[in-house]
Amino acid sequence: MGWQANVATIRALVGRSRNELLRVPGAAVPGILAPAIFFLGINGIFGALVGLRGFDGNSYLNFVLPVSMLQAAAFTGAATGVNLARDIEQGWLDRLLASPAPRWVLLAGMVTSAAIRAVIPATFVFAIAMILGGRFPGLDGMLITYTIIPAMAVIGAFWGSMLALKYKSQSVSPLMQSGMLAAIFLTAAYAPMALLQNWLRTIAEINPVNDVLQAVRQGFIGDVTWAGTWPGYVAVVGLTLVLGALALRQMRRQAV
Amino acid sequence: MKLRVVRALGMRSIRQTFRRPQLIAPIVLFPTLMLAFQTGGAGSAINLPGFPPVQSFLQFMLAGATMQALMIAGNSGGIAMAVDIEMGFIDRLFVAPISRYAVIFGRLAGTAVLGLIAGAWFIVVGVVFGVHFEGGILGILLALALVTATATAIGAIAASIALWTGTASIVQGLFPLIFVGLFLSTAFFPKSLMAEPAQTIAAFNPLSFIVNGVREPFISHLTATVALEAIAAVALIFALGLWMSASALRHRLRTGV
Amino acid sequence: MPAIVAKGLRRSFDDVNAVQGVDLEVAEGEIYGFLGPNGAGKTTTVRMLTTLLLPTDGTAHVAGFDVVSEASSVRQSIGVALQEAALDPLMTGRELIRLQATLHGIPTADGRRRADDLLERVDLVAAADRRVGGYSGGMKRRLDLAAALVHEPKVLFLDEPTTGLDPVSRKGIWEEVTTLNGEGTTVFLTTQYLEEADQLANRVGIISAGRIVAEDTPAILKAAVGRPHLEIQLLEGEPDQAEAAFAGLGRTLPRKDGRVLVELERGASQIAEVVRALDESGVTVGALELVEPSLDDVFVATTGEHLEEE
Repeated sequence: MGWQANVATIRALVGRSRNELLRVPGAAVPGILAPAIFFLGINGIFGALVGLRGFDGNSYLNFVLPVSMLQAAAFTGAATGVNLARDIEQGWLDRLLASPAPRWVLLAGMVTSAAIRAVIPATFVFAIAMILGGRFPGLDGMLITYTIIPAMAVIGAFWGSMLALKYKSQSVSPLMQSGMLAAIFLTAAYAPMALLQNWLRTIAEINPVNDVLQAVRQGFIGDVTWAGTWPGYVAVVGLTLVLGALALRQMRRQAV
Repeated sequence: MKLRVVRALGMRSIRQTFRRPQLIAPIVLFPTLMLAFQTGGAGSAINLPGFPPVQSFLQFMLAGATMQALMIAGNSGGIAMAVDIEMGFIDRLFVAPISRYAVIFGRLAGTAVLGLIAGAWFIVVGVVFGVHFEGGILGILLALALVTATATAIGAIAASIALWTGTASIVQGLFPLIFVGLFLSTAFFPKSLMAEPAQTIAAFNPLSFIVNGVREPFISHLTATVALEAIAAVALIFALGLWMSASALRHRLRTGV
Repeated sequence: MPAIVAKGLRRSFDDVNAVQGVDLEVAEGEIYGFLGPNGAGKTTTVRMLTTLLLPTDGTAHVAGFDVVSEASSVRQSIGVALQEAALDPLMTGRELIRLQATLHGIPTADGRRRADDLLERVDLVAAADRRVGGYSGGMKRRLDLAAALVHEPKVLFLDEPTTGLDPVSRKGIWEEVTTLNGEGTTVFLTTQYLEEADQLANRVGIISAGRIVAEDTPAILKAAVGRPHLEIQLLEGEPDQAEAAFAGLGRTLPRKDGRVLVELERGASQIAEVVRALDESGVTVGALELVEPSLDDVFVATTGEHLEEE
């Protein structure tokens, strides 16, 4: 199959994913509302933490906004895996696998749709934050944020797809979601590194998603620097390559 | 209404939950993970001026995590009822010579057990991680009773929505609202340290009274006022849920939809 | 006492009149076939008779009890296997039947025994402890039937029990229905399949657009719309010649696709006479087909539409 056919297949799969949102009444609402609710909730509840030494005068809203945006992206990605598991159970994936489309094209279609969709809830949260007086991260901060958000969704989609293809059942949906939950929150999500409990600080230091979070956060709480940026992109690229390879391996193992 | 029928339907509802990991995980796994992340990430909060005197942030947060679990348990009962409607299983129950209300109470019996399991789980978590329960055994028992009753009350509201709509995805869509209710309560932070308008809303939110009733025996000694306020709040939600469920059931039986 | 009596039964949904005055009577021990296309009102009628839906107007009695004022007594007397086999995929077959027994107030030990017996009866013993979600369509139907029988009901409602099943599974269900009826159970059977109604039903009611448009035994209904006819393909000889030969044996019908047609008063028993007459007149028969009126012909005659696609 030529590249044009591959692109057409990817577009068709993205279109199907869009239909799921547009043709099922209310389907989009939880995915958009939930991150916003969490953002407002976390900010409203834990906002007083800025009174602790270590926050350096930052507003908690600015501090936690990147967490919510990344959470929105990661969960959108994980939802791709949940949908794929459902498709496997209902036999829809067999229809795709029986087509001449290469396996990587099928996977690319699924994760591309996640990357596009993730922008919606993330932007919704961002807009709420700006209305509430949040700090605009500058053009460089926005560029970093809006390149990393789709990438985070892709990571979540690869993770979820890998599990869906391996276990072929919706019963692993909690694993998809909790994996992303752990990835996002085993970081300096709630507080700076120095204020974390020891066990969490140890994990956050080795968790690549912490670098991703710091890369996105820097513009919201201060200046964007190269030193604060590159580790995040390295982490994103690394996670994408590793999880992408694992997902593709599972896809290729599917027998028709 | 025969107890035997309610028990049989309750057992079915519990079996359903344990046979689908994606149903049990949100009740136990996610609240436990969030408890871990919040205590690890925001644990320094106990150093804030005005924070209640507690042994640890975990001791404070256990009640909130338990509330989260029981509300998800309640909602999952509603989702399961909606699935029964969607797949026609509820017709099998309606055509049987049982009280139609047994269908609701059977589901709620199962939800009550799930709530109790969730409450017990977090007690165990607390024990394992060294939490000292100031209210002793009596306090723990009161907390478990409140948790079980609240899960049932929330389950009644979720069941009513299932009976009205007959659509599982709509009941599932209420999931974010659970967190709205919890965030606007004292589930996760002391009221005095919450930002407005959350602080004002929390002051009147029935869930705050319930959380306080569950939390008090963990972090301090039982007081009658807090316990009675919690019981009253549960009773209010339960009465509302039962009224909604009964209305929805009668509507469904009358119209067939 | 009739097993089922409905008088002027009506049901409306907003501005849709799904059932517009159904009168029917089913005798005890009868198999009553309720035929009609999708949307005719079959399932709505069944749901009213099984107390799942309140009638908008009219009355109905099942097993002697009023479906509205004595609904609980009705439910104690009936077994129902609904169109969508209402099964819980997470339960095992055995669990489902035991639950059904509990719902009908059967003591636990008796319920377990009944479950074992019924599972054997419907040939699901091997799959009894597997989850229903893994059953085939035929297995689900058999389980649904078994669950409907757990309390030995007087009246059994089967709503399209063989829709979507393969011929072997369908035959199995037919055999079971016949056996049950032989044991004295009244069966109210809704179906889209003419053959099913023909094979099983003592009497057939045809519903269209919410009304019963015909009701009687299959044989009488079919006889009312016509007699069997013979379609003859000639190998040698002229059609006029053939029609002259059998003119006295039956009514000549319009030719169809080069075939000559003759309606036979006495059906298949006249075939030999016709062939002899044709032979004597020098006409050679190439092919012969006896065409009986079908319930679809009855349906066309009463509603103007086919029940089954040609």
